[in-house]
Order: sequence, then C-alpha cells, then structure tokens
Amino acid sequence: MRAACAALALFVSGTAAAEEASDVDPTAIQVHGFVSQGFIKSNHNNYLAASERGSLEFTEVGLNFTKQLSDNLRVGLQLFTHDLGPLGNYSPQFDWFYLNYRFADWFGIRAGRTKIPFGLYNESNDVDSSRVPILLPQSLYPVDHRDYLLAQTGGEAYGHLRLSEAGALDYRAYGGTIFLTPTPPAAGVTLTRFEVPYVVGGRILWQTPVPGLVAGGSYQALRLDAAYSFDPAVSSLFQMLGYLPAGLQGALPVKFRVKLWVLSLEYTYKDLQFAAEYGRWIGDFESRAPLIFPPHTVNERYYAMASYRVANWFTPVAYYSVYYPNVEKRDGPQSHQRDFAVSLRYDLNANWLLKLEGHVMNGTAALDSSLNDGKDVKNLTRNWGVFLAKLTAYF
Amino acid sequence: MSTRSTLRQNLSCQHGRRSILRSLVGWSLSVAWFQRAESARARDEEFRVIVHPRNPLSSASREFIADVFLKKASRWEDGEVIRPADLRPNSNVRRSFSESVLRRSVAAVRNYWQQRIFSGRDVPPPELESEEAVVQYVLTHSGAVGYVSAAARLGAAKAIVLK
Repeated sequence: MRAACAALALFVSGTAAAEEASDVDPTAIQVHGFVSQGFIKSNHNNYLAASERGSLEFTEVGLNFTKQLSDNLRVGLQLFTHDLGPLGNYSPQFDWFYLNYRFADWFGIRAGRTKIPFGLYNESNDVDSSRVPILLPQSLYPVDHRDYLLAQTGGEAYGHLRLSEAGALDYRAYGGTIFLTPTPPAAGVTLTRFEVPYVVGGRILWQTPVPGLVAGGSYQALRLDAAYSFDPAVSSLFQMLGYLPAGLQGALPVKFRVKLWVLSLEYTYKDLQFAAEYGRWIGDFESRAPLIFPPHTVNERYYAMASYRVANWFTPVAYYSVYYPNVEKRDGPQSHQRDFAVSLRYDLNANWLLKLEGHVMNGTAALDSSLNDGKDVKNLTRNWGVFLAKLTAYF
Repeated sequence: MSTRSTLRQNLSCQHGRRSILRSLVGWSLSVAWFQRAESARARDEEFRVIVHPRNPLSSASREFIADVFLKKASRWEDGEVIRPADLRPNSNVRRSFSESVLRRSVAAVRNYWQQRIFSGRDVPPPELESEEAVVQYVLTHSGAVGYVSAAARLGAAKAIVLK
C-alpha cells in the first residue's frame, strides 16, 4: 500500500500539468487527488496510534473524478483509503459520490453520499491541503470519529442567497443514513446489530455585512440502533455487579439518540484569520443497562484558533481547544481534554506541502484505553505532549 | 544518581529540540517577512473585468463578481450560464483582482477551492496562462467573464464597470 501511495505521489507531479492543459473545457472530466504521510509521537500516552514509540500509521490517499454533464447537472465520486492507528487499515471506500442538480443559485439538490456540513471545517477534516493545522481542533473535529461524522448517504438541498446590504446566506439541509462498520466494543462483548435509521441536519452560514466576518450555526440529529450480546461469563459477572438486568437472555437492545449543535464565528482580515466555535452534543440512551449506557449525557466542546499567512509558502497557526465529555462531571483528568497547539504549514510548491505541529495536552478524556493497554483513561498521564509531521502531495 | 543523570539527559534533549524548533520558526519568519516586504513593494496592477461582446451587462457589483469567481452565482441576469476564467496564481493581475474583488489572497482562494474540490462541492474556474488567453476565452465562450490588466488589448471583448 505504501508503494501505491508513493506511486500516486509521483503521479501528482506528472498529472498536474496534464490536468491544467485540459481544464479549459468545462465538460472534461476533472481529476484531482492527494496523498499524505504523517508521523505522530507523544511523550506519554498513546494518542490516535501507538504514538509513544512514534508511529507512521497516519496515511491518507484520495482520488476524485467530477464531470459536468450539463449546465445544471454534475456527477462526481471520490475514492479514499486511510490508516490511522487501528482505524482505516487502507480499506478502500467511496468517500463521496453524488448527482448534483442546481436549479438556481438559491436552490440545488444532491443525491448520493455527501459530506456532512457541520461547523466551519468538518468537510475539511480529511483535506489536508485546505487547512493549516495537521489536526483540526479535536474537541469539535475528532479525527477518530471520521466514519460517524464525515458523510451521510441520502439527499441534500443547498443554496446561496445574496441579501443585498445584509450580506449573504449559505444554507444546506440533509437527511439520510450512515453506513459504517463499527469496531468491536470490548473482549467478551459482540455487536450483533448496528444501524443508523436516520441522520438529519443542516448548517447556515451568514456572510455578514462586515467584510470577512462569517457567523453560523449547525445542527444534526441521528439515531443509532444497536444490540450487544455478552459471553456467558461476562454476562454473569455484569449481572452480579448490576450492570446488566438480572436474567438477561440473548442480546441487549440499545437505542441511542444524539443531537449535536455548534455555533461558529470566523473573521478574515487580509492574511489573518480567526475562528471560534462552541458546541454541545447531547446523547440519550434507551436501554435496560443504565449503568453501562447512561440515560442522558451532554458534552461540551469549544476552541479558538488564529492563523496568519506570513508568506505564500509559510503559515503558522495556534489554537486552544477544550472538550468535556460530561458537563455534569468536570473533575479529574478523565473529565476534560485541554489542547494548546502550534502548527507550521510550509507550501513547498503548488503541489506539495509540509506541516509540523506540537500539542501541549492537559487531561485524558480524548484518549482511548484500547490504545493504552486497556488502562482506564483516568489512570493515564495527565499532562502530556504530541508532535506531528505530515507531508502531502495533491493536484 | 542514575535518575538524576537520566533527568539531565532528558532536559538536555528537550532543550536541544526546543532550540531546533525555535531556529526553524525564527528562520521561517525572517525569510517570510523579507519576502513579504518585497511583495508589498510590487505595484498593484490595475485590472479590467471583461465579458463576451454580446453580454448586455455594462456594470456589475463587486459582490456579484466575487460570487461568480467563487462559483456561488452561476447565471447572468438574462439566464446565460456564467463561465469565469482565472489567471495563473503567480500573476500580479490575479493578486490585485483577488484582493480587491474577492477580498481574499490568492493562497486563501486556492485553499477555498481545495476544500470544494475534495469535499465534492465544485471545481475551480480554469486558470489561463496569459491575458491573451483570457481575452480569447472570453471571445469564444458566450457567458464568459475574465479579468486582464488595464493595458491589455481587449479586441472585441467588452469591459464592464465594477460598482
């Protein structure tokens, strides 16, 4: 797979010229692609991958094709594969595919698998070339939640409306489902059913009359239906401890309703850009095991980020990002994740870029115990740091 | 003793890493600021927005032209499909156009298109090699719009006023 990535990287340089030559014809098939290789190293705790010893399991490859079939109709698809620690493992997938019909600037529709508009940057979460940091603020854009948050299969309506002196509105609304293969929950526990009956949501961005100032809000609601079955020994133990209802036979059905919202603000003045977002995700479990699946949880996420393009080839960025998994419980290292990050983006040329990034972390809420020898996250090191480097080729 | 020694080594190693990082940031900032100062000295190019001669429009608002080049507006008032064309990213005319009409730097516009391309939203306007190519494109596509320097020869292409 790494050889395939290297081949695509070489392909990038060669294809850029050919693609530029053909792009005057609006009906020609447009081909674009990217390949990224990252490195991640932490001084304590494994984060996203086996980072304590340093990991190169941080690769993304995408190739897309778009064709304008008529003035109003466009079709496109993107093939994607990635590896991030235990996730992805180079399994190829359709990242998105759609048929798009634009009736007017204020109203168009897309059908297929489309990226979810959530917050300012959710759609950029795997587009390294369109953002400055390697990792977007992880409180709002957790890269290990990619499969849940990035795209949905169904339909979308969108539009752009200019409001004269009041600026302009960009709006999108979508509905459908999410197809995904969940990771096994734990030893002795099997997921026998997992489906998303619906996901609906929308985003509105207002380009205010103040030049460069954008304000917006996003909302999403989804339901997950799952069923867990337990090995007899685990089931007996959990029943004894009161985690499972006494006499449970067969699988335990669980319904999970989630509502997510985020408020966004972005201000651009020349080469300076400032962004801040605040959101809450509200989860309601319906099950007979409230100790395992708490009936109601609200988590809180926010960040502020500033970047300044010093030259076309050099952009530093810094952000401070905070995540509380449960707003009712804010004590202890496992109850928060504060992340101060500084990142440097070097645009080596029009098709290659290099990024270097450091994070100072406080808290362990964003860590995964399965990556840390099964240790409870409350027992992991409270203050830790991460260094990342990433090289991307794109065309 | 060995703990102290390890601690000293760690501190020394961290100090070394920090020094490398500081040097890298310092070097990047100095070179970038120097280039920035050089770039600021480059004179802004005056530009004209041009359309096909049959286009009835004689003027357009800055906001509308910005929407056109970001592909948020797709049709002229008479229903004709708009076909914008850009100059190459290293063009001074494009830099002036981008900063005064789109109110974004060329690099920011490129990032905007990267996001649109890889999220399946849209593809950018063609980037043409020269002003002559832009004029030619405008003359051969009925809904076309482009921009060239004030000194460029327009042929039959029609310049419109930006309000």
